[in-house]
Amino acid sequence: MSVIQQLSSPVIYLICGSIIVFIAAVCVVFAVRAWRAGIAIGMDPAVLKRIVTASASFSVLPAVGILLGVIALSGALGIPWPWLRLSVIGALHYETQVAQGAAEQVGIHLSGSEMTGSAFTTIALLMSVCIMWGMVLNLFLNKKYTKRLSKNSSEGGSSFGDMAMTAMFIGLVSVYIGSYLGQWISGNGRFTFTGTMLPLLTALCAAAAMALLTAIAEKFRLKWLEDFSLALSMLFGMACAVLLNAVV
Amino acid sequence: MSREEIITRYERGTHRLGRIVTLLTLVLLIGAPFLIGSTLGVMPDIPAAARGFLAVGIVWTVSSVVEFLVYTPMLGSGGSYLAFITGNLINMKIPCAINARDLAGVKAGTKENEIVSTLSIAVSSLVTILVLAIGVLLLQPLQPLLQSPALQPAFDQVVPALFGALAYKYYRKNISLAVWPLLVMSAVFILLPSLQSQTSILILPSGGLAILLAWLKFRKEKQA
Repeated sequence: MSVIQQLSSPVIYLICGSIIVFIAAVCVVFAVRAWRAGIAIGMDPAVLKRIVTASASFSVLPAVGILLGVIALSGALGIPWPWLRLSVIGALHYETQVAQGAAEQVGIHLSGSEMTGSAFTTIALLMSVCIMWGMVLNLFLNKKYTKRLSKNSSEGGSSFGDMAMTAMFIGLVSVYIGSYLGQWISGNGRFTFTGTMLPLLTALCAAAAMALLTAIAEKFRLKWLEDFSLALSMLFGMACAVLLNAVV
Repeated sequence: MSREEIITRYERGTHRLGRIVTLLTLVLLIGAPFLIGSTLGVMPDIPAAARGFLAVGIVWTVSSVVEFLVYTPMLGSGGSYLAFITGNLINMKIPCAINARDLAGVKAGTKENEIVSTLSIAVSSLVTILVLAIGVLLLQPLQPLLQSPALQPAFDQVVPALFGALAYKYYRKNISLAVWPLLVMSAVFILLPSLQSQTSILILPSGGLAILLAWLKFRKEKQA
């Protein structure tokens, strides 16, 4: 049995599925408590029902988009782990980046053909550790922070906080795009222009798809398309990679 | 029971419950790789994971602090505990909670907003879990197809596809912040090809450069 097959075995499903069931139960408890508290302080039940309906319908399309992320990662990490990560705590853009960074540290590329049991557990551990800090901060600071916020009646956070986060992502993206350019230009020696072009071309195809989908979504005000644009662009880029692999 | 008493009791319960489930989730998430490893007969390579954390994790730690500071005021305590446990904040939970707040006509910072936000995030998370569970159930028969050699280049190029799409999304609205990090990183990888397999170690300097540019822009806009 290959490592990828082992990573999709029933026992791994059981481990990951149990955690997902636990989180689902947590969500039910929070929802019931919020509903009851809302009724108790005099909120209209019709409004609360509308919140439930709107939130459920809003979430279906992005969730299908996230499922595409599970498919994208399943080739390298099996199905259960990406299923867990993208059902709970994870984020579509985060998982692949950290998995890739972790794969580098264990000396492999993020692909099913190179995956080993040890590499997988190391990648999985790093994926968990890297994203846990929001929860750690909540654990220790949520109460103090929200109390202070209610006292000050401040809302929205600092505008530089938003800007800094965007800047950080731009830095991240630039590293990877720069590396694809470097792989082509200097992959087989400095300025030889004989390295692989596939990552760069794949990135360009995905960017072109994103540009097209964004333009369509903005022109026709299609909010649902915005939710799908990242996953669809990734899928288009990956499809292009299959075709381009034959020619570059 | 008065409104104040109900709210005080609800808040106290939310923090107690939030802390307990956050702690349990942390234990489960950190424990899962070891549990999976024990079934495979291997264990995580801790030194490699530590190197990986220094390379990739620090950036995400900073990002987590910013997310916590920025999103907690929007979501309230209950919504914040739940959103950080269930993830997908930017692409799902934040817009969902804001949409719910608008629908309910409640104001940020109020107890009603706290309740609406918690309810919307809980429902959104349950729907996500359900959709993914159904999807995964149908995915298993597709596994041989997903592992076929013809599709291997697609899965090997997941990361470039992701960053290509993200590059367009982030660059188009922030081109002034993107130019220098992209130029500097491209030059580094062209001039030092050995770093091409160690992209993650350059995330921090590249992110730092972009944040510095953002700070200069922020200061300039404030002074104007």
